[in-house]
Amino acid sequence: MVDPVTILVTGGMIGSVYVLIAIGFSLIYGVRGVINLSHGAFIMLGAFTYLVVSQYVPGLAAFAVAILAVGAFSLLLYLGLVRYIESNVVITFLATVVVALIVQELLVLRFSLAPRSLQPIISGGIPVAGTRIRYYQLIAFALSWVALGLLYLFVRRTRLGRNILATSMTEKGAKLTGTNVFYVNAATWFVGGAFAGFAGVFIGTLQSTSPLMWVEALGLAFIIVTIGGVGSIKGSIIAAYLIGYLETLTVNLIGAEWRGMFALLLLVAIIIVKPEGLFGREFIE
Amino acid sequence: MSEASDPLVVENLTKRFGGLVAVEDLSFEVHDNEILGFIGPNGAGKTTVFNCIMSVFPVSGGSIYLNGEDVTNWDTHELVNHGLARVSQDSNPFEEMTVEDNIRIFTVPNSPFAFQAGGEDAEIAEIASRVDLEDDLQKLPGSLPHAGRRRLEIAKALATEPDLLLLDEPFAGLNQAEIRDLSEEIRSFRDEGMTLVVVDHNMHGLMQLVDRVIVVNEGSKLADGTPEEIADNEAVQQAYLAGEI
Amino acid sequence: MSNPATADAEESPAGFAVPLFDATANRYQLAVLVVAILGLVTIPVWAPSLTYVFAFANIWVIFVVSWDIISGHTNYISFGHSFISGIAAYTTALLTFNIDPEMAMYITLPLSVIMAVVAALVFALPALRLSGPYFSLLTFVSVLVATKAVYIFSQYTNGEMGISTVSVLTFDNTTMFYYTLIPAAVVTGLLLYISRSDVGMVLKAIGQNEVAVEAAGLDTTRFKIWGFVYSAIPMGFGGALLAHFFGNVEPIAFLIVDRSIEMIAIAAVGGMGTILGPAGAAYILIYLRDDLFRTFLGPNARWVAVWSVILILLVYSPQGILKRFWTFLGDLGGDSA
Repeated sequence: MVDPVTILVTGGMIGSVYVLIAIGFSLIYGVRGVINLSHGAFIMLGAFTYLVVSQYVPGLAAFAVAILAVGAFSLLLYLGLVRYIESNVVITFLATVVVALIVQELLVLRFSLAPRSLQPIISGGIPVAGTRIRYYQLIAFALSWVALGLLYLFVRRTRLGRNILATSMTEKGAKLTGTNVFYVNAATWFVGGAFAGFAGVFIGTLQSTSPLMWVEALGLAFIIVTIGGVGSIKGSIIAAYLIGYLETLTVNLIGAEWRGMFALLLLVAIIIVKPEGLFGREFIE
Repeated sequence: MSEASDPLVVENLTKRFGGLVAVEDLSFEVHDNEILGFIGPNGAGKTTVFNCIMSVFPVSGGSIYLNGEDVTNWDTHELVNHGLARVSQDSNPFEEMTVEDNIRIFTVPNSPFAFQAGGEDAEIAEIASRVDLEDDLQKLPGSLPHAGRRRLEIAKALATEPDLLLLDEPFAGLNQAEIRDLSEEIRSFRDEGMTLVVVDHNMHGLMQLVDRVIVVNEGSKLADGTPEEIADNEAVQQAYLAGEI
Repeated sequence: MSNPATADAEESPAGFAVPLFDATANRYQLAVLVVAILGLVTIPVWAPSLTYVFAFANIWVIFVVSWDIISGHTNYISFGHSFISGIAAYTTALLTFNIDPEMAMYITLPLSVIMAVVAALVFALPALRLSGPYFSLLTFVSVLVATKAVYIFSQYTNGEMGISTVSVLTFDNTTMFYYTLIPAAVVTGLLLYISRSDVGMVLKAIGQNEVAVEAAGLDTTRFKIWGFVYSAIPMGFGGALLAHFFGNVEPIAFLIVDRSIEMIAIAAVGGMGTILGPAGAAYILIYLRDDLFRTFLGPNARWVAVWSVILILLVYSPQGILKRFWTFLGDLGGDSA
């Protein structure tokens, strides 16, 4: 009953999308030390933006709009709220999760609780080794790696990117070397949001889109970043694929309602046994 | 060299932070009811030694004995409840609580049912008066001058009724008069039966106060003797290139 | 508990004796308290249409003060308190649904509370060894796991629909109001006592500077665990009480993470660490959520209003709007509690 090719393909594809969820969250957490609990809502907004916009413009354009829109929303959230409260960890926690709840309720009002499916960016697919791989799944996988590559180049080759990396290691040090920390923070939030929007479109297509999806998305972000290790992009990638495969196996072997349970339990185990995650490193203050 | 009645014995203490060896194979004893000076240049590892003793860090090697018992792996609160107290280099009060409450916490017994078991107001006032803080009980630590904050640290340590008190750089930031007063207080504690260890990087202030001196440099013991012996010791003089002694 | 401004901590105009409520209240604060309490106790008389909402709010007072005694004091922010009350509610529900619908409350109630405490400890014991964000994360995850488990094992839990075989305490609103008011008052009183005692002071100290507490000869882990127990017992009781309030137990009202966040938000708005602040805030916010906003905006849109109000209060008054009000009254009178 279980088809190994399907599992290999589906798991890899889900993993590639999960990478995107984690990267955005990790950027903000790693760089700013801020745990942004509205990250799940960003992902959700990506999906809903695409839902609305794709009714008027072709898939790829809607996709681009979703990415930019969520990046902008994230930036606005930082500029309008988070930068005033981020020194107070508890209030930041609460405020960002309340923002997520406000977004949830606004979406419920407009779209109701019923889950929707999104129009794939490109429809159709190709048969491979007995199963059918849809085009959008291939696109997700490919674009995920492209995005990672671009991020790598950005962080290593551009001035802004290097500044972000430096700031993530030591904010004081970055300030001392003349980095415009405000600019770096704003850029980080934008990029983090953009990744979330990106992820949201694919999650919404792959799974379903509903105003409640942010909780699971947030949980996933946490799980992957924590298991992989905070601040480690490599860790996030590995953990994302690990969780992707774990979930695919769970759904295929045990049942759909168990999806996510083992990921949660794995998280619990990691937090208790090795809280810094598989590849985490200490932060210098 | 250690006697059965030594309240504190440190044996072959080693502490590494990654590749850095902060303390290496250090051994010494503290004799009952003495005032022991623990001296070394900045960075010699003095505070690290006491952080290890107080279990702020786990040791990389060696053992620590309190009244003959091996306490190397005990938790900080266990040590405090067995009569060992420390006044840190840096003041660490509860900034949002009054001086009185700061002291009171140090009198609360280690029980989650100790609802009213902390010290009575009179008891707290008495402890405060031993360090001249009885008029400042309702103030917040932030409003005290530097010397006052240091005295609060001592009051907190006294509140735990220690037999052995470690004082880390107690004279730092104090003027001459304050140093004199504090030295007097330290002597009076000893007269009450306490054993004291005073850490400092400046030997000058310590010489008249202590019975015995241990000199530490770069994580190892350099010398051990009376103040006069130490003052004559060439190795010690060389270690203090700037002539701090 | 001494306070910075008054010269003599024993002086107490209302005659509240030291040891129980070891604090002074000036005449403005006292007046506000007295009016509020009298008003609350007589609601069925002067605002009968609010009786049901305030009966419901009574139970939320229990949840919120239970959260406050541990998280509000030690600053270990638990995102999983709905897990504790939810376990209790589901214990009651599962017993009546799967074993005996007529099972007596004197059996189900203690069992529910015990299960809640056990569940709390199962998560608390490993979690308390972790630092702030990881602790919160673990508690957040506990709610997700429990919610998922409810859906996975729907043959026992009836999944989303919930279990309706729980007996309702009473169908009369006024009676229900007093049935819930008394436990709320008792729990608030007990937790206030703990908060003002030396144990409460230690918990608050842990929240400020845990290392210094160890230096005071206090086993912080032990105090934290007991703090959790002091929290979990009334939390479990509240969960079971809520089950008997609705006669129905399902994830949305009892378990989902939104409820946990509401508890934290209410406590923060009232003033973390003050017990009375969260209690007052519970009445105000539940009133807004289930009466005022619901009437004017409907059962769906009201949430936007509720969360927006909470967000504004959190940002502009992070130490708690009720606590700020209390301090304001204190300054008015020249001293403060």
